[in-house]
Amino acid sequence: MASIDPAFIFLTDLIAIFSIYAIINLSLNLEFGYGGIPNFGKVLAVGAGAFVAASVPGRIIAAIANIEGDYIQNNLSVVAAADIWIVDNLGLTMVIFAFTFVVAALVGGGLGALTSYPALRLRGDYLAITLLAFGESIRIIGNNFPPLVGGTLGVQVPDPLSFVPDELRFPTASLILIVMAVVAYIYCEMTIRSPLGRSLRAVRDNEMAAESLGKDTGRVRIKTIIVASALAAIAGALYAIYTGSTIAIAYDRGSWTFWPFLMILIGGLANNKGVLVGTLLFVTLRKVIIFFKDSFEWIVPFDVVWLDMLLLGSILLVVLLFRPQGVIVEKPTHTLGRKTKSRGVVRIFNLLFR
Amino acid sequence: MINPVFFDAAVFASLLVLLSLGLTLTYLTTKVPNFAHASFATLGVYMTLIAVRVWETNPYIAVPIAFVMSGLVAIALYVFILKPLARRGATGSIQMIATLAFDMILIAGLNILADYLTEGFRIKSREFTLRSYDLEFMDLPMIVMIAPLAVAIIGIVLYLVLKKTKFGIAVRASTENPDLSGTVGINVNAVYGVAWMIAGGLAGIAGALMALWFLGDPNLGPLLIPSVFAASIAGGLTSIFGAVAGGLLVGLAEVLGTRFLAGEIGSWLIAYRPLIPLIIIAVTLLFVPNGLAGINWSKVRSKVWRR
Repeated sequence: MASIDPAFIFLTDLIAIFSIYAIINLSLNLEFGYGGIPNFGKVLAVGAGAFVAASVPGRIIAAIANIEGDYIQNNLSVVAAADIWIVDNLGLTMVIFAFTFVVAALVGGGLGALTSYPALRLRGDYLAITLLAFGESIRIIGNNFPPLVGGTLGVQVPDPLSFVPDELRFPTASLILIVMAVVAYIYCEMTIRSPLGRSLRAVRDNEMAAESLGKDTGRVRIKTIIVASALAAIAGALYAIYTGSTIAIAYDRGSWTFWPFLMILIGGLANNKGVLVGTLLFVTLRKVIIFFKDSFEWIVPFDVVWLDMLLLGSILLVVLLFRPQGVIVEKPTHTLGRKTKSRGVVRIFNLLFR
Repeated sequence: MINPVFFDAAVFASLLVLLSLGLTLTYLTTKVPNFAHASFATLGVYMTLIAVRVWETNPYIAVPIAFVMSGLVAIALYVFILKPLARRGATGSIQMIATLAFDMILIAGLNILADYLTEGFRIKSREFTLRSYDLEFMDLPMIVMIAPLAVAIIGIVLYLVLKKTKFGIAVRASTENPDLSGTVGINVNAVYGVAWMIAGGLAGIAGALMALWFLGDPNLGPLLIPSVFAASIAGGLTSIFGAVAGGLLVGLAEVLGTRFLAGEIGSWLIAYRPLIPLIIIAVTLLFVPNGLAGINWSKVRSKVWRR
């Protein structure tokens, strides 16, 4: 642990945060960009995923390994014991964490189903305000109901990578996260190019026309919200496991609803490549500001945190006013080509780069 | 001695009425749910802080200043951001995001102002209270009378302006049918601008008054905005009367309702107070989307009467 290059730490953390936000933004793009559903309650699914990761695997491990103590009250000692247990029981750990992600996706999907109730009945800004209210509630409940994630004190999350040597822990995590992000990207691209994706755009652009062609617009919306919420919940769980702790107050509408909107708007709506570009721009900018915080502390006579907010708010307004289509513009829908069979590798290449 | 919870209720309800009046006015005219609205009030809070601590004068001097300052900020938001966006045909959601971005800038600005006040004048500028600077009237803090009084006066004046003056007719015409109003010679943009100015100004007044009772902080806006939206939505988002009724309903429900339930069920309930406006929003929009203003009261009355 003697000396790790700070630039290396900077880079691995950048990759990890980029990957997590990329998954959330891809899911939001599915809802807002392609589906036109203004999900201002994105934080609901993300927070739910994080809460699942913070409360499920730790309790399971504590039960299996017979660790003494209450999971919330003696959280630090329980999680420390769990981390030691993980080193000797890798196989079972993987099963437990896989199960955690399944639970997170199910809870996220369930909340998505709940979200779709207003999404079928309301439109436009009324829907946005309702979803905002939904999203806001998760932080208040998490903050005041300690059995969930320890209330105002938060909880530690067992680290499935605790068998990896300390100096390799974060690089390994970043590697896993970026692989997850690539998988999510391919999945979203496949969804968009599927019949569901095409009817989703049709519903967004002209609901009545889509309906007259026999599309069940309500079903398309519900499916999209459930899938997107499940994805966002997985991202939330990944974030909780990556950072190793969860506190309810961190799941506010700024970080997990407003910033994702900012990123996909900068990158360009209804465009997964744009989402990646927007996410990379935003995450890098924030990281750089925090990284060089001390060096320009003396230039500005106030805390640099506010400069960060000023800058991001202004950038978003400038993009909205002068380049509303974002950095990369939505492409017209692909028409179905001739039925040529391309090989698997080529197909994945096409999904990634075409 | 009167239980201080009633003072809380009176000041908070007045605050919400003023804020939801403004929010309703802007939604009525330009159809934008303005998420920066509560931060206009925070600006008013800081005007009172400056009046009391920097200039060391009567706190009520800050009220007209806050009206002008917040009004100007609101106009800037409308003229420089929302109007160009609307001209490009941006959807409601995009304009809503723009107000959120503006709110972010405004909160950053307020935080910088707070830092500046602390550095330059050695004033506590976060989580500060100014209750001790309030004047006294009949052994009671003056604010608990001034706030409801101000709301009553402003409500009546606003009603008279909208119903009786030429400007009020222009406002109502521009909201009903902007194109037609333009053809009969009403400057619709100017009308909208003035509506935003008044809305921002009312928020500023609300902030300047609340500074004398509640804790002041640069980040008040995001905490307050769900209650403001709940008040406006409960009132139907399109009616001035609705806004007043909604503000009273949400304000009293939040303060007195939580206190009553906490007494009945248990004090742990108090922490869940922020859920009340969220529930009001969701329930109103899903089941009574037109709010209090949309209920056909004569029908309700006849039904109740028959039983």
